[in-house]
Amino acid sequence: MVTRVITIVGFAAVILAAGGLEFLGRREGSRIPRLGEWLGYVMRPRAGRLLILLGWLWLGWHYFSR
Amino acid sequence: MGPMAADDVPREPGRPPGRLRVRAGGRPPARKIVIGAGLAAYSWIAASTVPFTRNALLVVLLPGAVVAVLAYGRPVRRIPPPDSIDVAGFSYWAVCVIALFEWEAAAFRDNSLWWHPSLTALIDPMLGARPVKAAGILVWLVTGWALVRR
Repeated sequence: MVTRVITIVGFAAVILAAGGLEFLGRREGSRIPRLGEWLGYVMRPRAGRLLILLGWLWLGWHYFSR
Repeated sequence: MGPMAADDVPREPGRPPGRLRVRAGGRPPARKIVIGAGLAAYSWIAASTVPFTRNALLVVLLPGAVVAVLAYGRPVRRIPPPDSIDVAGFSYWAVCVIALFEWEAAAFRDNSLWWHPSLTALIDPMLGARPVKAAGILVWLVTGWALVRR
C-alpha cells in the first residue's frame, strides 16, 4: 500500500513541478521558458517536429485506442 | 544586418525578447464555436469506441492524418519559436521530463503491479467513464492543434 502511495505521489510531484515551472515561466523577465516556448524551439528542426508530433499520435493511440 | 539578432529586439515595451504575445488571428467567434462544437462532438463519439477495435484505431488515426496534412501538406500560420532559450531555465524542464520518464519506466519494468503502478495503469480506469474519456480526447485534439502551430 505504501509503495503504491509513494508511486502516485511521485507522479503527482512531477506533474505539479511542471505546473510550477509553467507558472514561473510566465512571470515577467523569467529565464525559465514556458512549455510552448521550449516545445516550439525543439520543433524548429524538421526531425524535432516529426518526433514531437509522433509522440502526440502515440499518446492518442496508447490511451484511447487500446 | 547588425550584430543584434532579431530575437534581441523586444516587440512590446516591457516584454522580454522571444516572448511574443500571440493574438488570435481575427477569426470570427462563430467559426470558433462551430469548430469547438465539432471537436467536442467528435470527442464524444470517439469516446464510445471499444478499445482494441478498428474503430478505436480509426478515431485516433483520423486526427493524426489531419495533423500530418496541416504540418507538412498545407501548413497553417505558425507561432514563431524563439531563436534561443535559456539553457539553465530549460534544464529545469529537462529534469522534470526525465523524472517523469524514469518514474514511468520504473513502474513499467515492474510490470505495473498494483503496488507500483505506471501512469497508464492509473489513468486507464478513469477513462472507463465516457465523459472523462471524451474530455481526454478533446484535450488531445486541442494539443495536436497547438503543436501543429508550433
